[in-house]
Amino acid sequence: MAEKRITIRTTRFDPEKDKAPRLQSYDIPFSDESMVVLDALNHIKAHVDGSLSYRWSCRMGICGSCGMMVNGVPKLTCNAFMRDYWPRSITVEPLQNFPIVRDLVIDMEDFMHKLKSIKPWIIRKQDYPLGAGEHRQTMDQIDEFRQFSECINCMLCYAACPVYGLNNEFLGPAATALARRYNLDSRDQGLKDRLPVLANAEGVWECSFVGECSVVCPKGVDPAKAIQQTKFDTTMRFLLPYGNRDE
Amino acid sequence: MPRGWWLRRRDYFLYMVREFTALPLALWLLWFLVEVQRASNGPKGYAAHGSPAFVVFSVICLGFALYHSVTFLMLFGVVTHIKGVPSRVIVLSQFALWLVASVVVAAVLIGFGR
Repeated sequence: MAEKRITIRTTRFDPEKDKAPRLQSYDIPFSDESMVVLDALNHIKAHVDGSLSYRWSCRMGICGSCGMMVNGVPKLTCNAFMRDYWPRSITVEPLQNFPIVRDLVIDMEDFMHKLKSIKPWIIRKQDYPLGAGEHRQTMDQIDEFRQFSECINCMLCYAACPVYGLNNEFLGPAATALARRYNLDSRDQGLKDRLPVLANAEGVWECSFVGECSVVCPKGVDPAKAIQQTKFDTTMRFLLPYGNRDE
Repeated sequence: MPRGWWLRRRDYFLYMVREFTALPLALWLLWFLVEVQRASNGPKGYAAHGSPAFVVFSVICLGFALYHSVTFLMLFGVVTHIKGVPSRVIVLSQFALWLVASVVVAAVLIGFGR
């Protein structure tokens, strides 16, 4: 029986040689039903063209490194099975809405800056003394923020967000989801420190609720929910008497 | 972003349709205000505007209004955060309220019309 094969088209871009990104086709064996798109890229790099550049690490949907556009949809390539595409060809491009460094590698500097701006760590007015033991939480308190803590910073949500694509000043989905994760944490007292970033014009109010960020999230996080609920909370803080009080 | 970004994916297209529905609805409501003003002179001087073009426009607007309402209420559960209440329950309660409000408004309008 003839060997099954599949065509992979990937973006190639060398900033020292190319004026613009271009697509290059590779015809590779599709030997195993469990092959994912990342396996195909690894095959190309190992056996066909060692100069192909892309990010990856864990290969199991945890590290969030291997996010790319697969046939126009933001996906973790370690979680995109080739059997779902075969016999059609697969086009792999860098995550859209970000500058390209080389081939399939994007510049994530903007996202890292936004992530830092929302202070994604527990903020206390006074440090909890180590001698006081654990800062315990009930299951209900953990359930309040648990889903938002699943974010792996893969940036698929930014690639799916046309609002960020049109205006990259927008704080964006993942950063807001993580801000909400800490704002909902019963141990945290940093809401007022995060509000200037969250509630300004380029914060949650820039979002027009397309909702694709939540659709493409590989970890089941709902950034659209985080953004809309932050809009609601900031409005209530503004409208209600004592709404702006210290937490 | 290319100009045609919203044509690339079905979800983007449906989002744009949802946003666009506000425009014809606003036009229809402006026309409605004109009709209310015309009716202010009493029933004798008023004749409802019933050209075929306006009827077609109104039917299209009704479709847009239903689409906008359904998508809005489906998203309501995402927006609202009530401790211990699942989003699905919030959405269903909004649809129930919509139904009740529609029945009440219809009853009032029909009651006045008689």
